[in-house]
Amino acid sequence: MAVTKSTSALSTSLQALTLAALSLPGLMPLNVHGAEDDVNLLYGYYEEGNRNLSGTKSRFKPITANSIAGTTNIKLSDRVKLGFNYDQDTWSGATPIATAPLAFGGNGGNGLGRVIGGATPYLQNSNVLFNKQLLPLNNAGTQNKQLVQTISSASPEVRNQGNFKLGYEWDESELDVAGGISEENDYHSRFGNITGRWDFNQKLTTLNLGLSYTNSDTSAILDHDATPYIWETSSGFNAFNTSNHNFQLAKNSGNTLLSGNRQDWRPTLSLTQILNENALIVGSVGYANSSGYMANPYKAVELAYIAPGQTGDILTGKTIGLLEERPNLRNQWTENLHYAQNITGLDAALHFDYSFSHDDWAVNAHTFQSDWVQPISNGWTITPKIRYYSQSAASFYTPYLVTMQSPSFIYNASGAITGQTFNASKLPSYYSSDQRLSAFGTLSGGLTLSKQFVKGVSFEASAEYYTHQGSLKLGGGGEDAYADYNSYMVNGVLKVDLSSLSTVINRIKTSNDNLSLSFLGTDDTSHAEHDHSHHNDHDSQENHSGHDHHTSPAGVMFSHMLNKSGDAMVGVRYMRDTQGGNTLQGSNSVSDQTIANNGCGGKRCYDTATMMNMNMIMLDLMYAPSDWMTLMLMPQFVDMNMSSRAIGSPLASTPENFDLQQIINHHTLHEHTTGGIGDTGMYAMFKLLNQSNQKLHGTLGLSAPTGAVDIKFRDTHGIDIGYQHYGMQLGSGTWDFKPSITYTGNKNKYSWGAQLNGTKRLEDSNASGYALGDIFQSTAWGSYSLLDWLSTSIRGVYTAQGTIKGQYNGTYNPLGPVDYTSNSGGRYWDVGFGINAFVPSGRLQGNSFSFEWLQPVNDDVNGYQLPRSGALSATWGYGF
Amino acid sequence: MRITQQKLLIALLTICLSFSGCTTVAPWQRGTLAKPQMAPDPHPVRNTYQTHIYNSREATTGMSSAGGGGCGCN
Repeated sequence: MAVTKSTSALSTSLQALTLAALSLPGLMPLNVHGAEDDVNLLYGYYEEGNRNLSGTKSRFKPITANSIAGTTNIKLSDRVKLGFNYDQDTWSGATPIATAPLAFGGNGGNGLGRVIGGATPYLQNSNVLFNKQLLPLNNAGTQNKQLVQTISSASPEVRNQGNFKLGYEWDESELDVAGGISEENDYHSRFGNITGRWDFNQKLTTLNLGLSYTNSDTSAILDHDATPYIWETSSGFNAFNTSNHNFQLAKNSGNTLLSGNRQDWRPTLSLTQILNENALIVGSVGYANSSGYMANPYKAVELAYIAPGQTGDILTGKTIGLLEERPNLRNQWTENLHYAQNITGLDAALHFDYSFSHDDWAVNAHTFQSDWVQPISNGWTITPKIRYYSQSAASFYTPYLVTMQSPSFIYNASGAITGQTFNASKLPSYYSSDQRLSAFGTLSGGLTLSKQFVKGVSFEASAEYYTHQGSLKLGGGGEDAYADYNSYMVNGVLKVDLSSLSTVINRIKTSNDNLSLSFLGTDDTSHAEHDHSHHNDHDSQENHSGHDHHTSPAGVMFSHMLNKSGDAMVGVRYMRDTQGGNTLQGSNSVSDQTIANNGCGGKRCYDTATMMNMNMIMLDLMYAPSDWMTLMLMPQFVDMNMSSRAIGSPLASTPENFDLQQIINHHTLHEHTTGGIGDTGMYAMFKLLNQSNQKLHGTLGLSAPTGAVDIKFRDTHGIDIGYQHYGMQLGSGTWDFKPSITYTGNKNKYSWGAQLNGTKRLEDSNASGYALGDIFQSTAWGSYSLLDWLSTSIRGVYTAQGTIKGQYNGTYNPLGPVDYTSNSGGRYWDVGFGINAFVPSGRLQGNSFSFEWLQPVNDDVNGYQLPRSGALSATWGYGF
Repeated sequence: MRITQQKLLIALLTICLSFSGCTTVAPWQRGTLAKPQMAPDPHPVRNTYQTHIYNSREATTGMSSAGGGGCGCN
């Protein structure tokens, strides 16, 4: 400890110098950012503003997206680097699916007599009017060219992506191989790339070459409300527009499934040149060859048929929705120029980017971006940013289509169109109404504020406001204002440089012997001198193993405090809870008939859950303002998915049962997902007993209701289904009190602990009308250290949770046991098996990892619920 | 238009390469270039996120290399 205290200022400057030296072009490739060993964690939020629907007020919220990303880079040896990346996006809300003249009235109702405030995607089977110039007329025969978007909402969806990178460095070159997968319910992508770097000209010039390949499958379940675009022929299902397909349609368990494949090849070349002591320039060229299904399965194009031979000033037509058709080949070129200039005197850097992109879809796009990176003082940096983007329209973009022909419609008994035949040769080969292919410009501005803390930890927060307007297109001629919208995005980034602290300390030590710059991990004797909160109060193996913090099971929260004032810790905690199998009543599984008759509070159950998974990613931020108190902030990101199946006898097919049957189908034919920010925990931990081999601490905590409790299903058949199940909401919705008391002890290679914790809801109901049950939990564990750095643990857990109070106060369609509050809470017994490891020395010193599998022993549930299958916990922590 | 742009880029790259013949910035003169604010991408994590959003709302994919990214269907 004394080493660092007395040299903290020196350490900081040495650290800066060391990093600066490492960052010298040539010593470290210019295209590689960050430290040698680092962890970056990002949270981002994106939200669009309301669309202009020409007077119709949409009851759907605009689209929002929550994103998290974690990246880690580790140097396996002097020349071998390994990187991992994980991303998750969750989005929900409404976006445009088509465009039509306001006079068509397509955005106002669904034709079934229900009032839907703007709107359901009812696009077909409307009678419309035109004048002789084929301009749309309203019902009174007055010309009205105003266009309006048709908005449709989507249930929450989640995308997960994982990828890796392996790199090998030579003195003047580097080769990286990378690959990964991205998974959504309707889009599955696999990709790989290889990049090479070569420094030459005394390392003033760097050449980067890359080649990447992506193979993506679309498998989209088409909107129930869009299925009228699809009709059944003798040869199977087909879209109304059958001319140019690079996708397949099929019926799958009652759903209409659209599937297609696309492949992308992308070679890139870039050249970085140091111009002088204060400036550098990067020139890049990229080419992308894309082939296959590149359309959007959820977008439609509105088509109006006008029968030829009509006389008079007013022509009548009929509208239908078509799936969009895009070419199955796209060649895109991008040229980019980046210039960075140091502003001497201000110690700032001006970055300027210009990109020009053009393709054989006729989309020409210009992007200008400038960042002014201004270091202030004390590690603070502020970066204002401005960006302008402009694109021309794709050659096949059209807001809607008109065709002079009379199709042959096929009607069902109730008068709805179920099929049609028409002359496709009278339509363009390709058409899309996706506004992203229209002509427009965007202007955005933002600010990034970053703070470099000591010991290699930094935090960065950014906000950007973005406006999309047809009138902003370079040179004019953009889409009309009906398609304009605004959005904003904010994000926070936590960066942990795992090597910087160790680098600096090791540098201090080795500089006492000689002045050579040494990398870490080469000198194990430096371990005893490291100022490390994990180690500074013990030097022996026994003390390592006895440290509660390295031996507590991964699933135990609040298991340790920080040692002394000024210590800090950053960690990530992942927990996955799984449920599945036969529904239980109490501790016994019951038949479907029993569930159907008794599981829904005296009403009939129509479905029952078959599985449910919950993933939680928590950020642990700990800081000790004094020796006896540790503060802890714990934001969470959660996602859930759930499947159900129908039970009991099928409903009679009557008009009265139509809506109910559609809602049952919606529940049982789709897996449901939700995700986003969960509740945020804030805790204060107090040392009550602090002996060398026994410790006791108490924790007082509050959980803030930052997780959503108002997540709803999307409409189906124009029916508002209302709230998702209670268990699929992201938080409790109430302020919760979370106290706990924890005891830990150790002797030789053994350590043990016990904890009591509780959750008391401080409010009777949340904004959606209910409050989750209180929780009490007790747990005890024992641990044995197999090696200096490795230990195993076993523990027992008993948990009791009360039932949900109150119920949803808005539209809600309960169908199964999960929808009734009496079927919540219970008493649970588990046994846990864990393994813990920490890195005692070397470049990655201070990192700890732990895993635990929690195996259910017995469930005694209230009412009717799915049994638990088990829970996985994994944690990473870095103390400094 | 396209040919003009490509020619412009080739010209720029040629200029870059030509610098390699005449510029001399010794390693000990590169201290300014090594500052974090002079990194070619001073906010890489932020930019990766923001580019992901731009790509889902604009018709071009820019220079971003391969990598899932989803279909941006919404």
